[in-house]
Amino acid sequence: MLKRTILCGALGAALLAGPALAQATFPDRPVRLVTPYPPGGATSLHAAIITTVAEPFIGQPMISILRAGGGGVVGATEVARAQADGYTLLLGDPTINSLRPQVENLPFKAEDFIPVARINFAPVVFVAAANAPFTDLAGMIAHARANPDRIVYSSDNVNGLTFTAFEMLKAGANIRMRGVDFGGGGPAMNALLGGNTMAYAGLPAVVGEHIEAGKVKPICVTDVARLARFPNVPTCAEAGQPVQWLFWLGIMAPKGTPQDRIEKLSEGFAKMAQDPGFLTLIGRINSGIQFLDHKAFAEAFEKEKAELRTLYANLRNR
Amino acid sequence: MIENLIIGFGVILNPASLLAALAGLVAGIVVGAIPGLTATMAVAILSPFTFFMRPEVGIPFLLAVFKAAIYAGSIPAITIATPGTAAAAATAIDGNALARAGQARRALEMSLYASVAADLMATIGLILLATWLASVALAFGPPEMVMLYLIALLTIGSVAGRSPAKAALSAGVGLLIASIGLDPMSGQTRFTFGSYELSGGIAFIPLLIGLFALAEVFTEAAARPPEPAAVNAIRPGEAALKLAEFLRVTPTIGRSTLIGFGVGVLPGIGAEIACWLSYGLAKRLSKEPELYGRGSLEGVAAAESGNNGACPGDLIPMMVFGIPGDTVTAVLLGAFMAQGLTPGPLLFQKHAALVYGFFAVLIVANVMLLALGLGAIRIARLITRIPRSALSPLVVAVALVGAYAVNSALLDVWIAIAGGVAGYVMRRLGIPIPPMVIAMLVAPGLENALRQSLLLSTDGLAIFVTRPVSGVMVAIVAAALAAMTWAAFRRRAA
Repeated sequence: MLKRTILCGALGAALLAGPALAQATFPDRPVRLVTPYPPGGATSLHAAIITTVAEPFIGQPMISILRAGGGGVVGATEVARAQADGYTLLLGDPTINSLRPQVENLPFKAEDFIPVARINFAPVVFVAAANAPFTDLAGMIAHARANPDRIVYSSDNVNGLTFTAFEMLKAGANIRMRGVDFGGGGPAMNALLGGNTMAYAGLPAVVGEHIEAGKVKPICVTDVARLARFPNVPTCAEAGQPVQWLFWLGIMAPKGTPQDRIEKLSEGFAKMAQDPGFLTLIGRINSGIQFLDHKAFAEAFEKEKAELRTLYANLRNR
Repeated sequence: MIENLIIGFGVILNPASLLAALAGLVAGIVVGAIPGLTATMAVAILSPFTFFMRPEVGIPFLLAVFKAAIYAGSIPAITIATPGTAAAAATAIDGNALARAGQARRALEMSLYASVAADLMATIGLILLATWLASVALAFGPPEMVMLYLIALLTIGSVAGRSPAKAALSAGVGLLIASIGLDPMSGQTRFTFGSYELSGGIAFIPLLIGLFALAEVFTEAAARPPEPAAVNAIRPGEAALKLAEFLRVTPTIGRSTLIGFGVGVLPGIGAEIACWLSYGLAKRLSKEPELYGRGSLEGVAAAESGNNGACPGDLIPMMVFGIPGDTVTAVLLGAFMAQGLTPGPLLFQKHAALVYGFFAVLIVANVMLLALGLGAIRIARLITRIPRSALSPLVVAVALVGAYAVNSALLDVWIAIAGGVAGYVMRRLGIPIPPMVIAMLVAPGLENALRQSLLLSTDGLAIFVTRPVSGVMVAIVAAALAAMTWAAFRRRAA
């Protein structure tokens, strides 16, 4: 009898507490992670791994949604306009989140997103075609000076990763080279390997194998330190031009998402970033983890926005 | 080479790998046969599951999904005129005409046999020539791609119908529709009227579903009900495809496979364009060109061997250079990388046994696909036995859900409906639909390649004739145009 009473009491309490608990627990249904690019690129690869691994760390399954279009604009706009409840997140990067919304007229603004967690951070590597008439940065700059607009390089799209890297180099060295837009890393690399263009700048994950195979010549790395994988490739500063351009992938939430949910997600991703299984998968796609929680990421994001704004103003005044 | 392949078979002839391939084929057939679910989506959704499998199990699974999904796109194209994938659009024309004449079984079987034969030949090409072809393909820069796209545009002449003016109108509208969205170079919006959804462009598959499937239903609804006799003509127990009928089209299958394989090897262009190139050429060379569009088995064979021939070719740039030619292979690239097999110049040296194991899987999966395909046909044929009055509403439902599924976007449903209305009006006015489809397929690539060429060039259009390969292709395009013009004048004089 006593047992039954206790049981009933407990059940009753549980039933009463149920709805209250459900409201307090976030997340209580699957979380969508939107990739604003087509499948196959660095972003969708990371999204696939994150959504596969994340469930135990954030408490609900994560679903990867690929919403390509407009160079990332369609997917980012969708997240910016989604309900700010923490259930729709964007896998963002510096071009779609800080550079382009500041310098182009897009349907969303840089301030429409709150940083949740930075996943990783990588420089780009300038490379030259195997048959290019230069093998280092000094040679490339000298060649460009002697032959203005005759160096043709593979670019991606206006204000994209590669585009910006070359604009920085051209502005810094005060040289002229012509970029041909190929829309993304794959086709751009293709044109370089086929000898149709003379140079390219891309993420280590994209150019690494080709450097190792000797199919392209590494020129310099856009970071303050050399890459562990290529200790012989100088930084651009060492090679004579202090180009610094780092590309991150990070989780962004729409503006207005409650602070406690941002914190909860940030904590979950922090734990995920230390998981051996997750690190193994990330290592396999030639990537690494440089995690920042929501506070540190937000600071870095603000700083980067200001830097890119200044840089862009300088580029335009040139 | 042969030793490598034997080692490869050794790697995959185990229950786990074979079962994975079988499961992949079944999944691929199901997904491919549902309009709106594409091979890319299937591979993208299923690839995370393979991350924790061993490579000799996970990759065969995904390769099987890819292969089967491309084949299965022809099933709804034939049975309900709804191309399950963009690559099956050409199949829908003759395949569905045959199905309406009560010969769905022959059309479905021809599609299966042609697909499997083409895939097998192209796989052998892949094994023998992968590395060499990959370097040849690299020589295809933007100027050469421009010429290839122009050749693809020339196939419009084969599907133009009676009035060249109407065909030109259709193609022109197609080119305009393809220019909606973001400018590929400057990122400026074009014809979007401020709508951010349109900045991604008009989604192709929803429009295709409208132009083919919904237009068919609208036309039917507007027509007078068929005579009872005509309904009875479509009866169960139809004839199977005869061996002689298959043998008669083997030259077409061989030629189309070659076209498909060649197009597949080139980056950025694949099965969607290969099927039209082979279909157009097959019609030009056919002894019975008048049957095309009204139920030609040869047309089905040409389109299907063209698009399946492109599949193994697609894998070449991805595996040899680590550069995917289209979105499916881009997803496959991710799956390879997650297994620690980074595609690229070093893949064949570091992991030769596994790579040849994957080649072996492609061969084995082909044989399995033949058996599974025959099973799928038995089920698919049931669809054609449903009375039209009940089938048409079903087609509308499937078409609209399919249009939505492609991007999970409501706009795409409206695009499909608009496509249906446009398709209906075009049919009433005798304006052929295929020129519009070909133009839409070719336009984005053509525009990109043309503008890239002109950026590369230091003296304008000269780049097209000063590069040897491009120069030869200019001559081919000019000769083909001259021959077509000459033929047209002779017809008029006669």
